Amino acid sequence: MKKSIEVTVNGKSQSVEVDTRMVLADMLRENLRLTGTHIGCGTGSCGACTVMLDGRTVKSCSVLAADADGRSVQTVEGLSTSAVSLHPVQEAMVENQGLQCGYCTPGMVLSAVELLNKNPDPTEDEIRHGIAGNLCRCTGYHFVVTSIQAAAKSMKEGA
Amino acid sequence: MKHIGRAQTSLTNRQLAAGKGVFVSDIQRHDMTHMAVVRSPHASARIVSIDSAAAEAIPGVVKVVTGQEIKANMNPIFEAYDTEAMGAKGVVSYALCPERVRYVGEAVAAVVAEDKYTARKAADLVAVEYETTPIVSNTKAALEPGSPLVEPDWGDNILITRDFVKGDPDKAFADAEMTSSDEVYQHRYTGAALEPRAYMAEYDPYTEQLTYWASTQNPHPVRVFLAETLGIEESSIRVIQPHVGGGFGLKTPTFQEEPLVAYLARSLERPVKFVSERTEDLLVGGHAREMRLSYDVAFTKDGRITGFRAKVVADVGAPSALCGWGMSFVCAYSIPGCYKIENANVKLFSVVTNKCPWNAYRGYGKETASYLMDRVLDDVAAKTGRDRAEVRLKNFIPPDEFPYTQVSGANLDSGNYPGTLKRVLEMIDYEGFPARQEEARREGRYIGLGIGQELTPEGCSMPRSTLLGGYDGATVRVNPSGQVTVLTGITSPGNGNETAIAQIAADSLGVPFDQIKVIQGDTDICPYGLGNYSSRSVIMGGSAVQIAAKDIRDKMLKVAAKMLEVSADEVEVEEGQFSAKGAPARYVLFKDVASTVYRDCHGVAALEVEPGLESTRYFQHGNVYHQPETQGRFSAYPSWPNQSMAMIIEIDPETGHFDILKYCAVHDSGTVVNPLLAEANLHGGFLQGVGGAAHEHLVYDDDCQLLTTTFMDYTCPTAMEVPFFEVEHQETLSPFTPLGTKGVGESGVAGALSGLCSAIENALPHLDLRFTDLPLSPNAVWNAIHEAEEKRT
Repeated sequence: MKKSIEVTVNGKSQSVEVDTRMVLADMLRENLRLTGTHIGCGTGSCGACTVMLDGRTVKSCSVLAADADGRSVQTVEGLSTSAVSLHPVQEAMVENQGLQCGYCTPGMVLSAVELLNKNPDPTEDEIRHGIAGNLCRCTGYHFVVTSIQAAAKSMKEGA
Repeated sequence: MKHIGRAQTSLTNRQLAAGKGVFVSDIQRHDMTHMAVVRSPHASARIVSIDSAAAEAIPGVVKVVTGQEIKANMNPIFEAYDTEAMGAKGVVSYALCPERVRYVGEAVAAVVAEDKYTARKAADLVAVEYETTPIVSNTKAALEPGSPLVEPDWGDNILITRDFVKGDPDKAFADAEMTSSDEVYQHRYTGAALEPRAYMAEYDPYTEQLTYWASTQNPHPVRVFLAETLGIEESSIRVIQPHVGGGFGLKTPTFQEEPLVAYLARSLERPVKFVSERTEDLLVGGHAREMRLSYDVAFTKDGRITGFRAKVVADVGAPSALCGWGMSFVCAYSIPGCYKIENANVKLFSVVTNKCPWNAYRGYGKETASYLMDRVLDDVAAKTGRDRAEVRLKNFIPPDEFPYTQVSGANLDSGNYPGTLKRVLEMIDYEGFPARQEEARREGRYIGLGIGQELTPEGCSMPRSTLLGGYDGATVRVNPSGQVTVLTGITSPGNGNETAIAQIAADSLGVPFDQIKVIQGDTDICPYGLGNYSSRSVIMGGSAVQIAAKDIRDKMLKVAAKMLEVSADEVEVEEGQFSAKGAPARYVLFKDVASTVYRDCHGVAALEVEPGLESTRYFQHGNVYHQPETQGRFSAYPSWPNQSMAMIIEIDPETGHFDILKYCAVHDSGTVVNPLLAEANLHGGFLQGVGGAAHEHLVYDDDCQLLTTTFMDYTCPTAMEVPFFEVEHQETLSPFTPLGTKGVGESGVAGALSGLCSAIENALPHLDLRFTDLPLSPNAVWNAIHEAEEKRT
């Protein structure tokens, strides 16, 4: 069954026809071709599909697309305007080797953005807690945490 | 050298951090279809019938395919190993099972549909009637006389055995001052790359070309395997590896779905895409590790080991075309690791059962060998009342005895094991720890220190294997502008080897780093190579790049010399400038020399050189031999990186829960091309080591049904489970590679296995704990603590 929904994605309001069985991650990836949102598990366990829904992170593999009707979604693509002007969290990841294969990274970045929005000066423990819903198999989290620390510093200095 | 040894962030970071990477599942093609797989719910059964009528009746279903069609139209899946050359039993298996299934999840049919939802729904409606057959659920049952057979033609359930002997173990035990015996167990787990496996194929009937996108580590071997399995020419297949979301060995070919997607795209003349679900990946995406190892050790009263016997019994699951079972061989091959034991015997029994086949996973059996040896050395230390580190130092192969031939015939290239261990003990303040432990104890806290010693041979080269070979190729091309394109046969599953390749190319040519562009993962463009596994990329690919770059540099030196009006041996090149030695003001730019070669080939400067600035070269590792001597021994691993680690944990004896407070490692992989990315790789290895030691476990019930089929029950460690890691490098160069490199990618996964055991034991000395079974889940630790407490009372 199809349903038409109105959804704002990365600041742009649009109407999308979705299968009622479709999850938000698939709608973003397949209907809107926003493939920066990755699917790692399909059970809300790994966090690769993390996006912001009305300003809060959700695992988009576990939200029905139809439930985004009338709401606002931000994906990794909405964080930067060009290759040379990434979000400070993304820049920090690039500079501090906070990623390897890059599959978990978009979700990790969005969790970090939410964390820093709420808590601009987090401790190491708070950072680790903030990304506990995002699995990474490559980095051992070490440079992810140092990247988020660097991002917090640069965002404070930039603010 | 300017760029080799420099910490350089990965060239792919910006694209991937922006979410602009392209993975197979991101690719859409016109008229694309989706494949879903019908999998066996039984671990052992005969297929009686398949009724696909209900599935075919669903609108949007394009095709249902079964094993009978596959058997009639395709060859068996090509084996990653030459099993005959290895002295192992081979297996005939197909992209879909035609007659019988041997593990839960084995593919029996597939549905192609217009969208993935329809494909999945239709797959669920394919009615397969099975007649179940007896299950072989573990190695003990598999080895009993009269056991059912996983492969009826084999006569038993043993895939391969080995019996390596050095010296006179019997005499060593007869003469021993002290002996000890025990058995250790390494449970089944896997790499679980975050990107599930994904393949897509598109066929152009007009050019008869098949384009195949794969989340793979090995594009050229995939092309060979597809050609062999489909019975078509390699030249009619182009394999492209887009970004890969982690490999860790698990994305080496050949899984059933790989040739299946290619077959369907050709027969339907439409693009077919398969993206594995997480449950499918946990069920059939390759397992690893499950081994039981028993040992006897003879030693002097002061802890010097004089004799050793080990028996490795591996549960490799059902036999398949995958290279995973080789991990059991490599485990036995790597024993006794870092230690010089003159009288030793290592026996291997690789046993098949009705579980998921193994596939390569980071460590490839070496981690289990290291785990065993650490447990043995800790045992010897405990029995002799000696310090754990002291016993290791006493038994290490001395640094001046390399190259050293181990029991298996392995030729260890170089090493300084005392160097790494002594340094890591300093880093963790080993001397000061007892006082710290005492102080913590007074505060009611239990902290413990564990150590682990890893030996992770790299650059695997197995006899007559299409996948595992000790060579690789590279093309270095200087363009007319002076910009450089490097094409390699090695590939990156996301670990940054393209960056190390660029660093090697920059130094070898004498150009700035940012002038190098590296292209990997396309069989139509890149030179033949075996891709990424066994930490071979910098060893093999990096060496090939260096050789090819030297060709170009030598040629350009001649031209530059003419331009500078000096002789070629008076010219040097650095950072894009050829200059006369001792007169740096007299120079020509690299780009002007390149331009001269391409644009002025009949001019004075370039007349005597062949036009073009391109070289394709192959590096063949010298430290491999495949001519079996006695006992069928051969040298399969040219490169022997190693590491010492130490960790401090705090444990709550009430719950069995522990936190890792400090984790230090000193790693030695010879020359480190990029210390930042080497460290990054090591961090990932540490996490997977901790995951394997305590968190990750593929659990089967007695019917060989996998109970851990999602990330909710297969629990990977999060950022909460590990601390910051402290890493140092020691550089004991390989004498067999031009740069002295040895490979980094697998180091780190082993140390935590025994390291964690010994840390918990050390935290609770009053309980006299001894861990020999992994994983160390909180309940396993809690049970051990309570058993020990009951014993005391």
